[in-house]
Amino acid sequence: MKRILLLLTAILACSFSAHAKLNVVATLPDFGSLAREIGGDKINLVVLAKPTEDPHFVDARPSFVVSLRSADVLIDGGAELELGWLPPLLQNARNPKIEIGKPGRVQASQGIHLMNVPANVTRAAGDVHALGNPHFAADPIIAKAIAQHIAQSFSALDPANAAFYEANYKKFEASINAKLQEWGAAMSPFKGQQVVAYHDSWPYFAHRFGVNIDIFLEPKPGIPPSPSHLTEVIAQIKTQKVKAIIVEPFHDRRIAEKVASTTGAKVVEFSQFPGGLPGTDSYVKLIDTLVSRLAAALK
Amino acid sequence: MKKIILLAVAVLPVTVVSAQQATSAASSSPAPTVSNTTPATAADVEALRQQVTSLIDTVKALQQQVKDQQAALQKANLTGESGLPQNPEPPPIAGAEESPAPRGSAPPQFPTEDTSVVSSTTAPAASSVPGAGANPSPAAGTFPTADTSVVTSTPETISSTGAGASLTQPITIGGGKNYMNISLDGLFALAYSSARDLDHIEVGDHDPQQRGFNARNIELAFDGAVDPYFEGFANIVFKLDNDNQTEVEVEEAFMQTTSLPYNLQLKAGQFFAAFGRLNPTHPHTWDFADTPLVNGLFLGPDGLRGVGAQTSWTLPLPWYSQLIFASQNGRGSTGFSFRNPGDDGMFFDRVTTDREARGLQDFVWIPRFENSFNLSDTQTVLAGVSGAFGSNETGANSRTQIYGADFLYKWKSSHAEGGFPFVKWQTEIMYRRFQAGHGADDSFPVAETFHDWGLYSQVLWGFKKGWVAGIRGDYVDMQDSKFTDDLDRQSRWRLSANLTWYPTEFSKIRLQYNQDFLQENFFLSARQVESVFLQWEFILGAHGAHKF
Repeated sequence: MKRILLLLTAILACSFSAHAKLNVVATLPDFGSLAREIGGDKINLVVLAKPTEDPHFVDARPSFVVSLRSADVLIDGGAELELGWLPPLLQNARNPKIEIGKPGRVQASQGIHLMNVPANVTRAAGDVHALGNPHFAADPIIAKAIAQHIAQSFSALDPANAAFYEANYKKFEASINAKLQEWGAAMSPFKGQQVVAYHDSWPYFAHRFGVNIDIFLEPKPGIPPSPSHLTEVIAQIKTQKVKAIIVEPFHDRRIAEKVASTTGAKVVEFSQFPGGLPGTDSYVKLIDTLVSRLAAALK
Repeated sequence: MKKIILLAVAVLPVTVVSAQQATSAASSSPAPTVSNTTPATAADVEALRQQVTSLIDTVKALQQQVKDQQAALQKANLTGESGLPQNPEPPPIAGAEESPAPRGSAPPQFPTEDTSVVSSTTAPAASSVPGAGANPSPAAGTFPTADTSVVTSTPETISSTGAGASLTQPITIGGGKNYMNISLDGLFALAYSSARDLDHIEVGDHDPQQRGFNARNIELAFDGAVDPYFEGFANIVFKLDNDNQTEVEVEEAFMQTTSLPYNLQLKAGQFFAAFGRLNPTHPHTWDFADTPLVNGLFLGPDGLRGVGAQTSWTLPLPWYSQLIFASQNGRGSTGFSFRNPGDDGMFFDRVTTDREARGLQDFVWIPRFENSFNLSDTQTVLAGVSGAFGSNETGANSRTQIYGADFLYKWKSSHAEGGFPFVKWQTEIMYRRFQAGHGADDSFPVAETFHDWGLYSQVLWGFKKGWVAGIRGDYVDMQDSKFTDDLDRQSRWRLSANLTWYPTEFSKIRLQYNQDFLQENFFLSARQVESVFLQWEFILGAHGAHKF
């Protein structure tokens, strides 16, 4: 009994001392990476989803409840991407600090004009998100806005370090602004080129860099590729001379390979998330990798 | 806007009146000159002229005043929002945040800003609520604060849990607004069995209960934020019995707190007892088409649920650890092993007492303690122990105790698509001590205590996106009564295998094979019973989030 009490006090002491740093939980690794840019070593960061797994279907593991329970800040997409797993976690976490509307809740989609908002919401169209396409962080300009939003939240909750967060945001903004020149230059020769993707995760990236990514191996979002649809896609690839097929780490690469081998297009491994590809531990490195991979494939 | 109208209304009569005065004055001025009856003096004319000019000046002054006011209002509209100058939110502070970084140098060739995707200001939430003892001044004025005229064009925040929704703010579903999430779930089965009395082979009320088609679980589910303090849930189940009569069950209807301190949560209403893994869940989330034997025979064909209240507390430990304690009436068939009058007033061959609660001992008390650990990045275990204690109706002072232990192991690939592939192993074991008394009015000659136990263990393998294969073993050991030959008290076991296809998370088609081994069958046709079920399901409406 004494031991248990000792353990409990030790844990309590730990949790109190840990309050010196903001406890930040990010649902997805891209938000986590932006939080790290802003928070540096002044935050404890927990990222729920793995960079290599499908963000639509993450297991609501009980350990996530523990992280959310003690969170000062929760960063989520706010555009229904995590709808299948975040609500029960929040219900169980019982943490008023991260309720919607509190400074501890950053919903990344706030202030973002989402693309492809369906006029009519019907599930006959597959896994369509009523609020618009939720894969918005692949646009560096949007990433800046999210980072700013995060910095605001951190500053409000930890005013002592507000200047630090603000400086980090400025630094991040400057580096994105500078990098955008590089990325833009690298992608400019391919303006208007058609690219095929496994899933419709890339409208924001495409919009930013002037390529078209609107042919998909999935017949409808979330519906696995069917032979008849693939035949159509192969025909489109041939007529439009598409050079690249984008797959993400959790997609069935063999299907993309098959399509590629019959058409001569190249399979390009992409990820929405820092850490989803080797050598992409930060947001800037991720976009670096995406741009250089796509540019190489389109050459 | 109101102010402008008020002002206009106030100003109009004045201008009209003064204009009228002016014109009447002007028109009346020549009159004396025309009329010879009273010849006007030059002084009179001069006086009138002065009157007119002063009136004109007044009108001009008033017009200017109106103009000024309008300009002021317009300005207020630009900075404030929707013409409500008393809005508590501070006006946005013009920040340097959206100016391109290399300002002063040559303009960047590639755009670094794009107002078509990012509003000029973001994030009202952080600064509009100065909470948690934070500095209420919005981040030292560096970042802009809320500008709702810009933010309203962006999607509203989502509140599936309803947490934080204000009293007047509807929660958002499907991009629209509503005060609650609504869904309809239809679960059907086509059944074959080598036994004619499938309703005696299958132990759950929502299981297939007859050869042929079954529609035993058509469920309406509602949930949403009641107010900033509570969430509400309700599951109303429509069930077609074997004669195609519709029965309605209020399966669950309860409210629970959203933000009590110390990680506490209270729940009150009609709800499933948190006993083990399967009991608190609804049939459409089950991995098999029917209830495990031990659940149906110990906790009841409809599961252990009832009207009551529950407290739960997640312990402040570095891992997931939760204590749950509930109390329910435990009456009727949903309090199966407790204050259940039984079919035709009989339970375990005793005439039941069917009495009112005498005191706290007649309620069912249901504690649970569960813990979860991650074995690795892809592996999780969850283990729990549960109890249910109360009195039963087979005697004046007869009591029931049920103890349970459950274990769940889950592996999911770190490269999972749509949640696949995965492996899930789930086991529950229960022990029941049932004091069977003398029945109502001591009508049964002997009292005895039954020690029953049972378990099920199942493995599910999601081998490909949308496809799951499962096997399950079931066993129930019932202690023989020395005095009666109750067929409901026979030991039995079952093996099941199934294959499920989920076209999406909103539909499924499942084929299941069961082999039952009974000591005796009701029609004594066979001791082994084979059954095949084809089950199908659809879900309309709100996206059902998946609990672990």
